[in-house]
Amino acid sequence: MKKYSFFPGCAYDNTGLPIKLSIEATNPLLEIELVELEDWSCCGCPGAPLSELGALAMAARNLALAEKTGLNLVAACSCCYRNLRNAHLEYLADSNLRDKINRVISVAGLKYNGSTIVRGLVDVYVNDIGIEAIKAKVKNKLTGLKVACWYGCHQTRPFGPDDHEFPQWMDWIAEAVGAEPVQYPLKTQCCGGSLLVSDEPLVKKLVQKLLDNAISHGAQAIVSTLCPLCFTNLDAFQRNFVSETGKKFNIPIIALSQLMGLAFGLSPEALGLNKHVTPVDKVLAPYYRAKKEAKV
Amino acid sequence: MQARNGKYIKAAKTFVDEIAAEPGGEKINECIQCGVCSGSCPTVEWWEYTPRQVIAMIRAGMKREVLSSTSAFHCVSCYLCTVRCPKGIKPANLIHAVETLAEKEGYNRSPTLKLYRVMRNHMRQGRIWEFGMSLGYYMKTNPVQALKNFPVFIALFVRGRMPISRPARIKGARDIAAMLDKVKEVGG
Repeated sequence: MKKYSFFPGCAYDNTGLPIKLSIEATNPLLEIELVELEDWSCCGCPGAPLSELGALAMAARNLALAEKTGLNLVAACSCCYRNLRNAHLEYLADSNLRDKINRVISVAGLKYNGSTIVRGLVDVYVNDIGIEAIKAKVKNKLTGLKVACWYGCHQTRPFGPDDHEFPQWMDWIAEAVGAEPVQYPLKTQCCGGSLLVSDEPLVKKLVQKLLDNAISHGAQAIVSTLCPLCFTNLDAFQRNFVSETGKKFNIPIIALSQLMGLAFGLSPEALGLNKHVTPVDKVLAPYYRAKKEAKV
Repeated sequence: MQARNGKYIKAAKTFVDEIAAEPGGEKINECIQCGVCSGSCPTVEWWEYTPRQVIAMIRAGMKREVLSSTSAFHCVSCYLCTVRCPKGIKPANLIHAVETLAEKEGYNRSPTLKLYRVMRNHMRQGRIWEFGMSLGYYMKTNPVQALKNFPVFIALFVRGRMPISRPARIKGARDIAAMLDKVKEVGG
C-alpha cells in the first residue's frame, strides 16, 4: 500500500463527483492510499490573475500543512497540481519571495520549509504503481474501444513531468487496459477552465476544436484528465456547443480512473458512470455486458 | 537619459518598470519579439492586441491602451507560451501581471475580471463554492446567460454534482482572510 497526502480541490466533491467515485473505487485495487489533507483550502488558482503573492500564499498554506505529514502531496485536479507545484518551485527559486510568503502565512501560525513534493495522480499511476501492475489487474479488456486521451493544460504544462508537446502517459494506461488510443494533434488543448462562465464564445471555440479534432481522428470516447474542470467543461457543457458542421456533440467523456475501473471489472455505478450529463452507455454498454458474462 | 551637463540620469519610472516590478513581469526586457507566444496562444483571435503586441506596447509606454484593453483577460492560463518561449520570459505570468495592474488601476471592462473578483471573495472563505460563485457572477453581470445555462445546472444538480447549499466553513477560514489582508501589506 503506497500512502500519500491528498489535495482534493474545491470541485472534487461537486462537479467532479464521477472522478471522485472512480478514484475511490480503483485506489484499493491499485494499492494506493490517499489521506485527505486536513483542513485544506483553495489552492489559490483563481487568485493568480489578480494577485500573484496572494495565490502563492494560498498554495503555501496547504504546502505547509502537508509538510507536517511528511508525505508526498498528490492532487487529482490539474489546476491544483500546477498551482501548488508553482508555489513550491517559486519558493525554492527566490529567497526574497520565500521571505514574503512566510511572512504572509505566519499570520496563520504556519511556516513552510520547502520540502513538500507535489505530484499529479497520473504520475503516481505511471511511476509508482507502474503500467505492468495496472495491466495485471485487468479482468475485462476494453478491446476495440477507440479513445482519444486528452491531457489538457496543467497536467503537463508548465511543469511536466510528462512531455508537454506530446504527452504519452495516459495513452500507455489506455493501452494497458486494452483500449486503442488514437493519436490526434490537439491532445493538449485547453478546455477554457473557468472562463466558461465569463467568456463563453471563447470556450465554445476551444471545446469545438478539441472535440471535432478527436472525433475526426476516429475516437469513440474521450479519456479526460482527472481534473474536474476539464471533465465538466466537456461532459456537461458540450450540449451547449455544436461542431463546425453544425451537428450537436454527443461524445462520451470518461475520466482516466473510470476507464481503468471498467477494465478492472468494477460496476458502472461504483465508477459514477451514471452521473454523467453526456450519456456514456451507447459506447460503453458492450463492455458492461462483457463483465456480466464473465461473472456467470 | 542624458542631462544638459552631459551626465546620465535615471529616467522617471516608466510603465515597463511598473510591469517589471509586479511578480511575473520581471523578465519583460528580455523579450526578443519573436512572436512564439502569439503563435501558440489558443485564444489569440479574441485578443485586441496579441501577447507579443502587448509586450511591445508596454515597452513603448502605452499604459492606457494596454490596461484599458480586455486583451489580457482572454488568457486562459494554459502556459503554452510559457513552455515555448525561447527566452524563458513566462509570458502567461507577465499577462497575469498586466491583469493585476489593470485591476489595481481601476480598469474593469472585462467580464472575466468581474469573475475573478467573485472568485477571490470565495477564496477568502477558504474554498470555492461553484454554484454560489457562478450565481454571484451572473447576478452581477448578465442574468440572461444564467437562464441559458440553466438546463446544464439542473442536469448537474440532479446528478448530485451541483450542491446548492454552501459548504461547511473550514477551520482555517479566519486565518485565510487574515493572510490575504497581510498580502496587501507585504505587497506584490
